[in-house]
Amino acid sequence: MIPLLALTVFVTVTAGVYLALSRDLFRCVVGLAMLGAGANLALYAAGAKGSARPAVIQKGAEVLADAANPLPQALVLTAIVIGFALVCFALVLLLRVMQYAGSDDADRLRLAEPRPDDPLKPPSHSADCLPVYPREDRS
Amino acid sequence: MAQANTGQGIGRVERLLFTALPLSALCLVLWKLARLELPLSASLSWVPALGIDLAFHIDGLSALMLLMISAVGTAVFLYAGGYMAGHSGQRRLFVLLSLFMLAMIGTVTADHLLVLFLFWEATSVLSFLLVGFDYHKSGSRRSAQQALLITGAGGLALLAGFLLLGQAAGTYRIREIIEVVPQLEQGGRLTAALLLILVGAFTKSAQFPFHFWLPNAMAAPTPVSAYLHSATMVKLGVYLLARLDPAFGEWPLWELLLKGAGSITAAWGMILALRERDLKRILAWSTVATLGTLVTLVGMRGEGASVAVGSLLLAHALYKAPLFFVAGNIDHGTGTRVIDRLGNLRHSMPWTAAVALLAGASMAGMPLSFGYIVKDVIVEAKSAGEVFAFAKAANTIFGAVAVAVAGVAAVRVFWRHPGVNESCEAREGSLSMILPPLALALSGITLGVFPFFAQGLIAGAAGAMVPVPREILLGITLEFGPTLASLALSYAIGLGVYISWDWLHERFDAAVQRIDRLGMAAHFERLLRGIPRAAAASTRFVQSGSLPAYVALAIGTLSLLLALVMALGWSSFAVPALGGIPGPAVLGACALIAAGALASLFQKDRLALLLSAGLVGYGSGVLFLFSGAPDVAYTQFTVETVFVIVAASILLVLRRSGRLSSLPEARWRPAALALAAAFGAVIMLLLFVASTGPFDPALSDYFSETSLPQAFGRNVVNVILVDFRALDTLGEITVVLLSFLAALPLLALRRAGRERKAEAE
Repeated sequence: MIPLLALTVFVTVTAGVYLALSRDLFRCVVGLAMLGAGANLALYAAGAKGSARPAVIQKGAEVLADAANPLPQALVLTAIVIGFALVCFALVLLLRVMQYAGSDDADRLRLAEPRPDDPLKPPSHSADCLPVYPREDRS
Repeated sequence: MAQANTGQGIGRVERLLFTALPLSALCLVLWKLARLELPLSASLSWVPALGIDLAFHIDGLSALMLLMISAVGTAVFLYAGGYMAGHSGQRRLFVLLSLFMLAMIGTVTADHLLVLFLFWEATSVLSFLLVGFDYHKSGSRRSAQQALLITGAGGLALLAGFLLLGQAAGTYRIREIIEVVPQLEQGGRLTAALLLILVGAFTKSAQFPFHFWLPNAMAAPTPVSAYLHSATMVKLGVYLLARLDPAFGEWPLWELLLKGAGSITAAWGMILALRERDLKRILAWSTVATLGTLVTLVGMRGEGASVAVGSLLLAHALYKAPLFFVAGNIDHGTGTRVIDRLGNLRHSMPWTAAVALLAGASMAGMPLSFGYIVKDVIVEAKSAGEVFAFAKAANTIFGAVAVAVAGVAAVRVFWRHPGVNESCEAREGSLSMILPPLALALSGITLGVFPFFAQGLIAGAAGAMVPVPREILLGITLEFGPTLASLALSYAIGLGVYISWDWLHERFDAAVQRIDRLGMAAHFERLLRGIPRAAAASTRFVQSGSLPAYVALAIGTLSLLLALVMALGWSSFAVPALGGIPGPAVLGACALIAAGALASLFQKDRLALLLSAGLVGYGSGVLFLFSGAPDVAYTQFTVETVFVIVAASILLVLRRSGRLSSLPEARWRPAALALAAAFGAVIMLLLFVASTGPFDPALSDYFSETSLPQAFGRNVVNVILVDFRALDTLGEITVVLLSFLAALPLLALRRAGRERKAEAE
């Protein structure tokens, strides 16, 4: 079981990081989601012990017996929901950035860190570089 | 004299009170010397937990240094009163000089390496403040910064060396160290300690290749130059070397480095003195050369060399400080120190001329001066010990140019070149500018005529380096032999250099200018300029402003750290068990996940990318469902569905602006793929490692056993989430809510913008 899961985790994490390294912001967000899925799988696999039966205490029994390990399941469940919230927020942010800056190219988003214009000094934020209000609001 | 912006002048009483400090120290030292009460020691518990005591020990060498510090100190304090009269920063000068004197006294009396280091650093910092005394001049600030950077860096090396030495010797007490170290094996740790300590001593005493800061430190007021950068502070390096000579004296490396660096410094310093036209800088270079000679002498074996160290230390303080005062008087009286603009000053400044003659005679080593006796001792020491030819040549250059420098300072500016500075009204300064240098110069001559006064002092100082079995005799030798021949040679060459000073100056200046680019000073400047450049380069590498670069940096660092941790514990990992073959459902789920992940790499269309990525989520759901985690599976299915809906609705918006397909990008990005695969491999390995270790079921067992009796639930996963870890789940819901709240205004802003645009149209 472990080698198979480990291989799956490898493929998922590799694909996730590869997408996240793209300059396309949408691919970047999808890569982030995939990286999260890979991490969940790894977490689950690391604690997968016991049988493949749901962690439910049988009728008449007092104690859980012959079932899957419940602890990683609880952790992964929490992680899935939080990852979902994170990625959804990232998507909305992406949408906003694309409208605001007019680009979804990570290499062209230089509002916070402008390209250096001097070999030594830190780059200066010129006035038109930091619009306080969104571009379309200024009309 | 330029006026500083802050501070006030001080009155006569206050000046006298300040001067009482070195004077009382001088009286105390003389009293103790006269009553033969040395050595003295005292110790005060300071940091008992670290075994650091404020331990002090005054032996002959310390007493010699103390005598120089207090005697020259008294002269300097008196002189500064006249030289700086009316200067608004006078009080600052006196406070800094007093603090400096205390730090010096602490350094030369400390018997604990770390205590010595503490005072040593204090002298560096005070030297910085005093060199930069005229802080409104950029030249002063630059010189002060250079002096601090070089001596400060040397101080760090010294601290490291002291710690290594203390650890190797098992004690930080200097008196114990010099007894223990000769019996230790000459291992790598002691060698490292030796080299680091040498760096510290060489930077302080301006030895090659750290020699260039000392002449630049002449930006300080003249009393400071006379005190710190000629008589006392720069001698600390020599003092430390002499102090540790009994510990390392038998090492060939010690001997080689001291003789080598010392000889180079002695010869090179004198050659560079020929380049200068500023009287103070000429004297500074000759100080550098003297320090080189002192270091060479410390490196030589035998009692003769030790006696020579002690006598040269004393003689140099007695003639160089007055010569600095002479330069100060000339500067004060004429407004310049450039020797081309000075001449025939004996009429307007007769007393200064007298001082210059007396001190110059001692520097040149004329008979009946203490300098003559020192020369004699040095020549004797060199002919007795084994010295390589280069050191001998260096010493000849040193002696000869010393004669020439003395000639320039004492004869040329006072007796020759009449009419050069007739336009300016040269005048003699106040009494306090004449008496102190006169007293110092006269004691130099007195000791030359009656050397037995200094005998006990010098013998005591030499005794700190070698045991002196027989009574040493300082005296005027009258035997004809190598000594007199060598002296005559140096007089003759010195006279030649003096006469052809201007001619030599032009030749040397032109020659040395060509190699200035390669010099240590130029390297230092390049290093300073390189620091901001390196900082900018490293900042721009780490903080490039590109999102992919940040992701790569974070992922790469994490991969490296994880790989490092696993590599360190590699031997303790077992081979993972393969386990049973999983069922078809699990196999299918894994295939689904892998297929989705791989397919998403090739999608140009954003909707297709979203759907392929969805396969990974649904595949995980299937996997969870068939491996005993139905709750997780349901959550995964729900979340995946909602996510696809959210993402699809955002894609709908994007479609309106024609952005449904991904940005054009290279089909394959090998570097990104390599990094991603590396990270995936590290995570995979981590999973293997985790599965081979012993499994700790304590928490799982606890939940399995207490779920029903305590929380009355049969579904253990649910019980964990809503009961045992309810707060955790509350936090999770809060995160979801917060992300929703954060997304709302972003969407609202969007809507507002769109409506306004519609209105505008």
